[in-house]
Amino acid sequence: MLESTNQRITSVGIDIGTTTTQLVISQLTIENTASGTLVPRVEITDKEVIHRSQIYFTPLLDRDLINAAAVSQIVESEYQAAGLTPEMIDTGAVIITGETAKKENAKAIIDALAGFAGDFVVATAGANLEAIYAGKGSGAAQYSAQRHQVTVNIDVGGGTSNYAVFHEGKAVDSSCINVGGHLIEFDRQGDRITYISEPAKIALESTGQRLQAGERVTLPQLRPIVKAMAECVVDVLKTSTHVGLTKELLMTPPLQLAQSIRKVMISGGVADYVYALNGPTTMAEVTAFGDFGPLLGWELRVSLEKAGFVLEKPNETVRATVIGTGTQSVNLSGSTIHLQENTLPLRNVMVISPFISTIPETPQKIAEVVKTQMLRLQVDHSEGVVAIAMRGPRTMSFADISILAQGLLLGLEDYLSTDKPLIIVIEADCGKVLGQCISASANRSLEMVCIDQLEVENCDYIDIGKPLMGGRVVPVVLKTLVFNR
Amino acid sequence: MAVANNELEKVIIQSVMEELAKKGLLSQKGKDHVMSAAMMDTPIVPNTESKEMVTFPPQEEMQISNPFNADAVKAMKKLTPARIGIGRAGTRPKTMSLLRFLADHAVAQDAVFLDVSEEFLQRMNLMSVQSAAASKDEFLQRPDLGRRLSVEAVKTVSEKCEKNVQVQILIVDGLSSSAIEANIPDLLPALMQGLKSSGIKVGAPFFVKNGRVWIQDHVASIVNSDLIISLIGERPGLGTAESLSAYMIYRPNENTVEADRTVISNIHKGGIPPAEAGAHLTDVIKQILAAKASGVKLNQQK
Ligand code: B12
Repeated sequence: MLESTNQRITSVGIDIGTTTTQLVISQLTIENTASGTLVPRVEITDKEVIHRSQIYFTPLLDRDLINAAAVSQIVESEYQAAGLTPEMIDTGAVIITGETAKKENAKAIIDALAGFAGDFVVATAGANLEAIYAGKGSGAAQYSAQRHQVTVNIDVGGGTSNYAVFHEGKAVDSSCINVGGHLIEFDRQGDRITYISEPAKIALESTGQRLQAGERVTLPQLRPIVKAMAECVVDVLKTSTHVGLTKELLMTPPLQLAQSIRKVMISGGVADYVYALNGPTTMAEVTAFGDFGPLLGWELRVSLEKAGFVLEKPNETVRATVIGTGTQSVNLSGSTIHLQENTLPLRNVMVISPFISTIPETPQKIAEVVKTQMLRLQVDHSEGVVAIAMRGPRTMSFADISILAQGLLLGLEDYLSTDKPLIIVIEADCGKVLGQCISASANRSLEMVCIDQLEVENCDYIDIGKPLMGGRVVPVVLKTLVFNR
Repeated sequence: MAVANNELEKVIIQSVMEELAKKGLLSQKGKDHVMSAAMMDTPIVPNTESKEMVTFPPQEEMQISNPFNADAVKAMKKLTPARIGIGRAGTRPKTMSLLRFLADHAVAQDAVFLDVSEEFLQRMNLMSVQSAAASKDEFLQRPDLGRRLSVEAVKTVSEKCEKNVQVQILIVDGLSSSAIEANIPDLLPALMQGLKSSGIKVGAPFFVKNGRVWIQDHVASIVNSDLIISLIGERPGLGTAESLSAYMIYRPNENTVEADRTVISNIHKGGIPPAEAGAHLTDVIKQILAAKASGVKLNQQK
């Protein structure tokens, strides 16, 4: 009658990038790691990649349209190769990254794949998240925790470079700049330019060079612009106020650099050239893949070392993002879970944090704050399921926890009258007792998830998957991340 | 005492006091009081009028002078309340670490020797009985006496307690009265609410003074409950003196051994928060009642 102490789940990660599309399938072991004397704590204790796909060129119909049918085919054939069907996948994420995320039919792709890739698969996109998955996949997150040193991972792909700064294993900052190895395209192993992207044009302008599609270039002609781009990437690590080209190419706010950075890891398609013994010496070497990735990698290394940064080797280079997506996107959370089987999974649940500072003293005052926030939401016509998030009760006393429970019920009267499930996310270690108090105060049985020890912010979106470990935990995927704390 | 020694002592006292004052841990007045006593070779009589308290810097404060990797020390200190990363003065602990050690030791001793106050028992509306150990000294010297009720207590329990309930809750001072006063006000109502919501029949909880874990077996033999749970003060350590355990057993009898009990330990504000523990214990109790077994026998059913 007691729940089993460990369970294995299968997770898929699909990364559709500017240049390449990949997929990995991993097996995650989830286990109760708390000793018998303590409240159970379910964690992912082991991650094993059981299938790595080939690295495909992202199929495009034209420059702005992804070939959705071809992407589905890739997924289908890789499942076959792994001997799996969509029903065997428990969780995971699809991430559309870099320049590709700007493509017109990105949303359609995600919709098409979400059905395809198993019931619990979650679709996500966005530069912040991508950067963090890459840093977790490359090993930068783990390195920062093991060595107790702030470590930045830069995932340099075809169109963008994504930064994630890790402190003690946790992502604390992220940014994204429009620099990548595929921004100018060439005849393979040739020296003729076939395409110049917008950001590359901006870079050309700033170096005062005039290059056009159709022209042939020499290595000495190409080097200055690639060097300029590499220096922009390094600039972001040095300061948080930017001018000129760096400012123009930044796609998100820059890194805040609250802690100074020394250790750098590079992942992504360009990474192998960062860690190569020698730089490319001919145009044929530079354009081996029809772009300037090898040269960008080498110039990046030169600029980083010149600026005094210490380069550390990642565990994964080109597959870092997809491995991070497949193995690191899920959190497990437990506490009070009273739900009907079919209520989950819940996708795109918006988080609202009604309490700005401390929680008011009485149920009535708590209810007032909650009501105001819920009304504001209705004005925005958001009728969906929401999660109410907070740091903790006023104090950890039973009395204050009961007051919080009553206040929440009162404030959410209207919301609950429409039979939506009550979703509470609380940082403090009191999810069970809060859930118990809510159940005791409500004079009817409620559908409720009360999750503790999870940090979320106002306007984050979360997905909640089907319960695991005998109903003790639910997988939670956090989708938007901001670091302005 | 030789003069030289005496001088040395004064110098030491002076530097310690100055160090404390510099850190803002001792007021000028407090420093002067100690210094004048030292200079006049009179024993230090505590200044009873002064309510001055020495406050320690937070435990997580870095005390290593020139750490090679301060982040690493901070991260490790976060993982444990143990005395790590405290630096050293030559081969000895720093003044601050030594004082903290002595203070924590004093707190631990208080926890064992003080009684749970009458006022507390009244506030919590708890009936109080005593084990066969008549005093704290006897309690400490004779563990066997702490394991059964006094003759008078047997009578009180037989007369006043409801019989044949599903769950009987005992609150037992054990080795820390501080743990009882610190945790019961939040733990007990959470546990009572949880059991009530689950429709479990509970006898009125009561307090046992000078009790040990096994006393639950004696009480169960009188009230005949299915399950008996003791919320008992743990042997205090230097990390906390407020830690409480919950020992539970399903239908104990004369053949009961320790392995038949289930224990949830480390309930305190820095461990399992007491209110949350109350809700968690409800789950554990439900499991024990359903399995009709506790301790190792319960685990074997998993
Ligand atoms: C002191 C102590 C002991 C002493 C008890 C000495 C004595 N006769 O008083 C000794 C060294 C014998 C001991 C042994 C064990 N202990 Co011990 N012990 C403790 C400690 C440090 C304090 C207990 C306390 O304050 N009790 C309160 C006083 C008032 O009770 P008491 O009536 O005076 O003493 C009884 C209890 O202490 C009880 N007891 C002590 N340990 C254990 C363990 C279990 C599982 C049970 C059911 C009862 C029990 O036995 C005593 C005699 O009846 C706790 C740590 C903590 N945070 O609580 C660990 C602790 C309770 N012990 C623990 C363990 C695992 C054990 C052992 C199983 C170790 C082993 N692998 O052999 C054994 C089993 C004991 C047995 N008889 O079966 C764990 C329990 C974890 C769990 N829930 O499963 C704890 C929590 C330590 C930890 N964090 O791991 N223990």
